[in-house]
Formats: sequence, structure tokens, C-alpha cells
Amino acid sequence: MEPIEIGLWVSGGMLVLVVLGMRVAFAAALAGLVGLFIIFWSKRGFDPEQLGWAITVAAKTAGQVPHSKVASHELSLIPTFILIGYLAYYAGLTRALFEAAKRWIAWLPGGLAVSTIFATAGFAAVSGASVATAAVFARIGIPEMLKIGYNKQFAAGVVAAGGTLASLIPPSAILVIYAIIVEQDVGKLLLAGFVPGAFSAVIYALLIVGIAVVFKSVGPPVSGFTWRERFASLPAAMPILLVVVIIIFFVYNPFGEKAWGTPTEGGALGAFIIFLMALGRGMRWAELKSALIETAKLTVMIFTIIWGVLIYVRFLGFAQLPDAFADWITSLHFSPWAILVCILLAYAVLGMFMDAIGMLLLTLPVVYPAVMALNGGEFVSAEDSAFGMNGTMCAIWFGILVVKMAEFCLITPPIGLNCFVVAGVREDLSVQDVFKGVTPFFIADAVTIGLLVAFPAIVLWLPSLAS
Amino acid sequence: TEWNVSVWGKRRAFTEHIEKLAELVSEKTGGEFTMNISYGGLSKNTENLDGISIGAFEMAQFCAGYHPDKNRAITVLELPFLGVRDLEEEVAVSNAVYAHPAVEREMAQWNARMLMTSPMPQYNLVGTGEPRDELAEFDGMRVRATGGLGEAFRAVGGVPTSVTASEAYQAMESGVVDTVSFAQHAHLSFGTINRATWWTANLNPGTVNCPVVVNIDAYDALSDAHRQALDESVPEAVAFYLENYGKLLQRWDEVLAEKNVQKVTIPDEELAKFREVGGQPIHDEWIAEMSAQGMPAQELYDLVQQTLEQHRASN
Amino acid sequence: MAGAAPVLEDGSVLSRLDRGLLRLERGFALIAGLAVLSLMFLAVRSVGGRLLLNAPLSGYVDWIMQLMPLIAILAVSFAQRDGTHIRMDLLVAHLGGRALWLFELISVLLILFLMVFLLWGSWAHFLRSFDLAAPLWSRDSTIDIGLPIWPAKLLVPVAIFVLCLRLCIQAWGYGRALVLGLANPVAVPLVQDAAAQAAAEAETLGEKG
Ligand code: NA
Ligand code: NA
Repeated sequence: MEPIEIGLWVSGGMLVLVVLGMRVAFAAALAGLVGLFIIFWSKRGFDPEQLGWAITVAAKTAGQVPHSKVASHELSLIPTFILIGYLAYYAGLTRALFEAAKRWIAWLPGGLAVSTIFATAGFAAVSGASVATAAVFARIGIPEMLKIGYNKQFAAGVVAAGGTLASLIPPSAILVIYAIIVEQDVGKLLLAGFVPGAFSAVIYALLIVGIAVVFKSVGPPVSGFTWRERFASLPAAMPILLVVVIIIFFVYNPFGEKAWGTPTEGGALGAFIIFLMALGRGMRWAELKSALIETAKLTVMIFTIIWGVLIYVRFLGFAQLPDAFADWITSLHFSPWAILVCILLAYAVLGMFMDAIGMLLLTLPVVYPAVMALNGGEFVSAEDSAFGMNGTMCAIWFGILVVKMAEFCLITPPIGLNCFVVAGVREDLSVQDVFKGVTPFFIADAVTIGLLVAFPAIVLWLPSLAS
Repeated sequence: TEWNVSVWGKRRAFTEHIEKLAELVSEKTGGEFTMNISYGGLSKNTENLDGISIGAFEMAQFCAGYHPDKNRAITVLELPFLGVRDLEEEVAVSNAVYAHPAVEREMAQWNARMLMTSPMPQYNLVGTGEPRDELAEFDGMRVRATGGLGEAFRAVGGVPTSVTASEAYQAMESGVVDTVSFAQHAHLSFGTINRATWWTANLNPGTVNCPVVVNIDAYDALSDAHRQALDESVPEAVAFYLENYGKLLQRWDEVLAEKNVQKVTIPDEELAKFREVGGQPIHDEWIAEMSAQGMPAQELYDLVQQTLEQHRASN
Repeated sequence: MAGAAPVLEDGSVLSRLDRGLLRLERGFALIAGLAVLSLMFLAVRSVGGRLLLNAPLSGYVDWIMQLMPLIAILAVSFAQRDGTHIRMDLLVAHLGGRALWLFELISVLLILFLMVFLLWGSWAHFLRSFDLAAPLWSRDSTIDIGLPIWPAKLLVPVAIFVLCLRLCIQAWGYGRALVLGLANPVAVPLVQDAAAQAAAEAETLGEKG
């Protein structure tokens, strides 16, 4: 059997295990271990006497991965980002943001929903995880919307969709994971997420305003806040701004010559400021302890997927599957744009059934080299490339597209984690209600993705300033 | 026979001898013995020796400075101010040290056998801001330098700072470090040259040593014809590497001009002062420390010096 | 994201073992959490030292790389205990009774099979970096300040060993449920439908915010 055939069979086997309900991290690791074993044994011609050797080498090769892949400076951003989210919650930042957004922009048609979207976008600037953001705003935003007569399903949809913004707007655990898999600059990718994240938020807001103008069932605008009240709401929401500024300045200083440090340092300093705030707001050891344990749990869950899938990816390396797939894609007689759209559609379908991080880790090692090859390779210049951008920019652009797809899959049925969470928080809402309410936002997301594909400048403008 | 070869990063001047070796071996054996070179797919760069030890792949490249405790003996080649002038001398001293029984023993612990070296030029600095051409100006300078090089800069008041090679550009841009020490090809491939305003042409503080090794079992299992093809191809591959790197070094001056990077020449008396504090004391310290661990450190050190003399005498 | 599920308890041996191991696992999780917190302080020290004193933390990257296995792996068993590791439960959510327990049992046994090999492999990985005859017992060190790596590598087999214990308990729990045809077995995470699962998760966020 050729290594590539082994690669395909084992990958198929892994998908079966995943569908049958085995924990994704372990299904991938098991597939990787078994795949490595078959590869090594095949190298010795499946000689029964070499069976023990093949098992030993496979176990030892797989056994390197957990420590080796996890002991990484860049990956330390992930636990930091998760901790920031939990601490921000204890620091009372969430409610402060919502209050400020309400006082400033709720006078628009569909105002409270628009406020919710922008408050989630603001919270996204300190939270690295979409699901946590949706859970928090389901508690804060939905009751207020219902109070003034919003359609229940629509209110739930607004929160579920708004929550997805957390993974595009930095900090974002998913963007860090993408950067690591494809070996691109984490800082540039985080920077690249800002504009598309804000852009998504604006598209959501426009959609809401449009709906509010056409259908009167959406709640009325909320007006009557004085300027004094508006400004009074700002100080409590300010710290978010501070964190955003710190992260930007640590990645790229828009005003001066030098940035202040690395993204890792920026993330950790952001966490430190929120930590001090949470202490100031009365967080004590019991609360800190539960925040730490929750952080540890979510972190270990993410990292188990990371090393589990990377055992499988190590096997793919030995099976030479990524190279083969890239060769195959580039040999197709379709336009690169058509292939790119097909890849994105495939992500939309896969995203219906899988969680975001698992999906990226499983697919990117194969898909990313193919997309890069499609564009003309890593070192291609903008002029010679298929998508009109050089290799580095293509990596960034594709990353943002893929992360946006991963966000989209958080609100699509049947597995849309954000919708589950919102329904879980509100006893009066069923999952079906939330899925119904979130449907209009599919259109917004499709529009956003279409525009990001058609106008890569939206993504690349900020990172290209930094280089 | 198909061998898997684990290297890292991208294909660059630093890996050209391996690409050449694969080509030569395949040619000489009529395609019977091939090498499949993987850039990072088979192992993490700091674990290539582990992979060789396991037998996961048959050939790999690594750098001594990544994990000094894995390869104490060859760290002699990374001492600052050894006095190695060019790549040919670097090849000569590497080959001499690699052939030393202490090195062979240590590599055998990893089931590894030295095949060839990947000679690198001296790790001169690129820096931002005003050029630093006096020793006094190294005081308080934040420099990206590892191992013995870091020690040398510390000896003159520099502040060695940890950043990985891939973060070096970002670190320079953000002022985490003022200067970065790399070989020329790395200044190019990690982009540090793009942030630099100056480059030290003659500081020559030392370099990093990166051998290519093979798994002993795999090597022994080769047929005589294949083994001969491999062994014979090594000098040719290294010669090709030197030629190729030479072209890169020739281009280097053009790159400096193009990027408007000032070439800084440090006066001889300043260099002598640096060597005085950053050279011999660190050598002595290394010898004392390694001898205490049962390593024939003095012998290895003398071997380097003798080889340099012989090499110069024969040219 | 964290699909934690309830684990029932009673006075049986199995349940007592479950809770005993949980104490250890919770301790590991707290250590991991404190390690995350220390990442934050390390960065503050590093940036502060650099900007204020021109004395950056020597070996900052090395220290982070030593901390990461603590953060990323030590609590792996804690997350397995209540089913936090994600999966697609489209299919299992529709199963009930013995069929469900059979499925879960097979799944847990497969994980245990995997983990035995990873225990072996990660132990070997540790052994390669460990040498009783060397200073600090070190045969592998970090790039910048030469910290021995073996303690960080040792954490992996330790965490996996605890996970193996946890998997044995769960295998026993599911096996017992399968044989006795139990409806609500102890010591294993119960399958909830997605909505109930999300509710439980939202609950952990408390009332503040
Ligand atoms: Na975010
Ligand atoms: Na979905």
C-alpha cells in the first residue's frame, strides 16, 4: 500500500469514529497512532517479525507530540485570552458595555438589537471565545429587548450572531490556532481580524436596521438619553478600550516607529489590567479560584484537541498527504477562484456538523498548502499570483475567511453551538426558536464573506500597513 | 531504499547540501536509493535527534545550540571568538570534532552518526538606531543571541534576550531587542535585514553548529553499493553548499546597499578588548565545566585550534 | 464549548473512587489555572523590566515553554471526568439504555487503548531527556538559559496515567450500567441533549456580569 492510500483510509476511519461520537481529540490521536503504525510497518514490508518494531516506533513518535507541540511560546496566548474573558466577566465589564451601547445608539430603528451587536463586538475585544460571549449576552441583552416588545426569536438570534464576533475581533483563540498551524505571524493575523470583525458587526447592524424599518414587529427605538447620561456610561466601559489599545500597540503602533512588544506580552498585559479591575470590583479568592479552574478546563479541552489532532497531522506528514492534495488541487482545470469558493462551501457544510477548532485543525494541514499552491506558492509576488496578493497576504486573507466560516458554523443548524448556549440560558426559548431567529443573519454572513472574498483589501489593509 | 529526512523551515541555502545529497545519491544508484526531504512534517526542529533515536526517520539536521545538554561535546564549536574565518575553516573544524570519539559516543546515545556539517558564517549583528562600533556602546544593548554568543555579549554589558528565530523580526520591530545576531541567510529569510540600519562586518563573534546525522541502524542496513554512494556524495554535497552560500555572500553587499544598511567596521583594538573579556574567559569556563562532567574538553578545544592551524598551513 | 455533563454520586465503592480521583484532578486543574495566572505575571515582569529597568526577564521564552505543559495537559483527566472534551453527539444523543452504555463503553476502551500507548511513548520521551549521570539529571535543555526539560516532559506521562485511572473508572461505570441495565449510573458523565448541556454550561457563568 502506498503511503497516500494509507493516509486516505486512516482519515476515513477517523471520520467514522468522530461521527460515532468518540471525543474528537482522541479519535484524531487514535487515527494518528494507528496510521503511524501502518506507515512504519509498511516500510518493512508488513514483515511479521517487524511488528514489534513498528508498534514501538509508532508509540514513541506519537508520544512525543503532546509535550512537543504544547511547549510553545505562541500557544501561550490561548490560555491568556481565555483568562481575560473570565476575568472581564467578574470585573463587570459586560454590563457596563451594554449600558453604554444602549445609551449611545439605541435611538436607531431596531436600536436595542443594534446596541447588543456593538456591545458584543466590544466584549469581543477582551474575550477570545465566541460561546462565552453569547452566553453572557443572552443574560444581559435578551431581557432588555423583550421588555420593550421585541420578537423573542429575533432577540435570541441577535445574541447568537453577535457572539460569533469574538473570534474575529482580537483577541481570538481561533486566530492564534490558525497562525500556528500555518506558521504565520500571530500578530499580523490578529491585526487582520479587526477590520473584518468590525465590518461584520456593521453588516449585522445594517441588516437589523433594515429589518426594523420594514417589519414593525421588531422593537421600537429607545431614545431620551441625555448627553450627560451618555457620557456617564463611558468610564465603566473604558477599560475595554484600554485593552484594545494595548493589544494594538503591542502588535503595531499606528503613531510611532516602534510597537511596544510582542502579541504574547500584549495579551498577558491586557489580562493583567482586567485582573486588577476584577480585584477592584471585589473579586475574592473563591471567585478567582473558580475563574482559574474554569480557565484550566476550557484550556485543557482546547489543547487536547490541538495535540490529539497534531498526532494525526504528524501521521499525515509521514503519509505525504498534504503535498499530494496540493498537487491534485493545482492540477484541476478550474479557475482558482472557483476552487476557492468550493473550498469555502465545503467548510460551510462541514461546519454544520463540527465544532470550529476541530474543523480547522483537521482540515488546514491539507487545505492550506493547497490554497497557497493555488495562489502560486509561498513566495509568489502579487503580480504573478492567482488571487492578486503575495504569499504572506494570501495566508492572512485565507485565515480570516476560514475563521469567518468557522464563526458561521456556530450559528448554523444542526450543530450551532452559539444557538444551543442561548437557548440554554433562556428557559423560555427552544433551540428551534434560536435557529429561526438567527436565520436572517445567515444572509448577513453570506454577504460579509462574499465581500471579503471579492475585496481582499478589507482584510489586508491593516496588516499591510504594519509591514 | 527510501529514506525520510527531517529538516525544518523552508528550503534555503542552509539546506541545499541535503537537497544536493538526495539528488546525487539517487543519480548514483539509478534511482534505487531515494530521499524524501520533509520540511517540518516529521518532527519539531528541536526533536530531530529524538526522531533519529526512535528510528522514525533515517536522516536529520539539528543545531547544537538548540539543546546543549543533548550534545555537550560539539558545543565546543559554538564557543565565541574561536577564530574561524570562513566556511572552509568551519567545515574543517567541524569534521575534525565530529570524528572525535567523545562526539561519536555522545551521538551513539541517540543512535546517530555524524554525516556532514552545515557550515554557517559568523553571526554578525544587525541593529536599529545609531551604529554601535565601540565596545562601550554594547553596554545595555538588548541583543538576540543564544548560547555562548549570548554569554560573550553579556560579558561586555549586553542584555541577551530570548526570542525565537521566527519572532526575531517582530522583536526588532517592537524594540524588544536592539540587535539580532544571525548568519546572513537567516537575516534574509527571517527579514531582520529589513528593519536594520547597520550591520557589523567584522565583529565575527562566533556561530552555530548544525550537523546532519543518520540513524546508525539504517546506515548499517544499507547495501554496500548504497552506502558507498552516500559516503561518496557527502564531499560533493558540501562543496555544492559552499559554492551556493558563497554566491549568497557575494550578493550580501548588494543587499546591504539596496536596503540602505550601513556596514560597520569595528576597530581592531576594540575587537581585541571584546575578545579579551568575551573570548578566552568563556572558553576557560567551558573547559572547566565540561571537564567536570567527564568530557575530554581540553582535548576537544585543542583539536579545534590545531585543526585551524593545520588548515591554514596547508593552504 | 465545554460540554460538561452531570456525574451522579452515591455511597458505592465506584463512586467513592470517582470522588477520590476527582480531588486529585481538581488539584491538578487549580495548579494549571495558577500557571495561567503566572504567565500573566511573567509578561508583566518581562515588559516592566525591559521598559523601566532595561533588564528583561532572562529566559522569558524558556520559562513559558516550561509552563505550557502544566497548563495544557495536567488537567486532561479533570476534563474527561465530566465529559468536557468535545464530541459530535448527534448519534449518541439518540441512543438510550443498554445501546448507549455499550457505545460509551467501547468509546472509553478505545481511548484507554490509545492512552496506554501514549503513556509508553511519552514516558520514553521523558527518559530520553533524563540522565541520572548528568548534572541536574539533564540530557535536554532549553535554548536560551539551558533549563533542564525533563520535569516538563515528565508531566505528560503523569497526566496521562491519571487519565488512564479515570478511564478505568468510567469503563467500570459504563460496564456496570450495561450489565445491570441501569438508567442513571454513577461515576460517568450522562448524555444530555444539547440544550440541557448548554444550560448547564451557562449556569457555570453565575449571575454576575
Ligand atoms: Na475576541
Ligand atoms: Na453549525
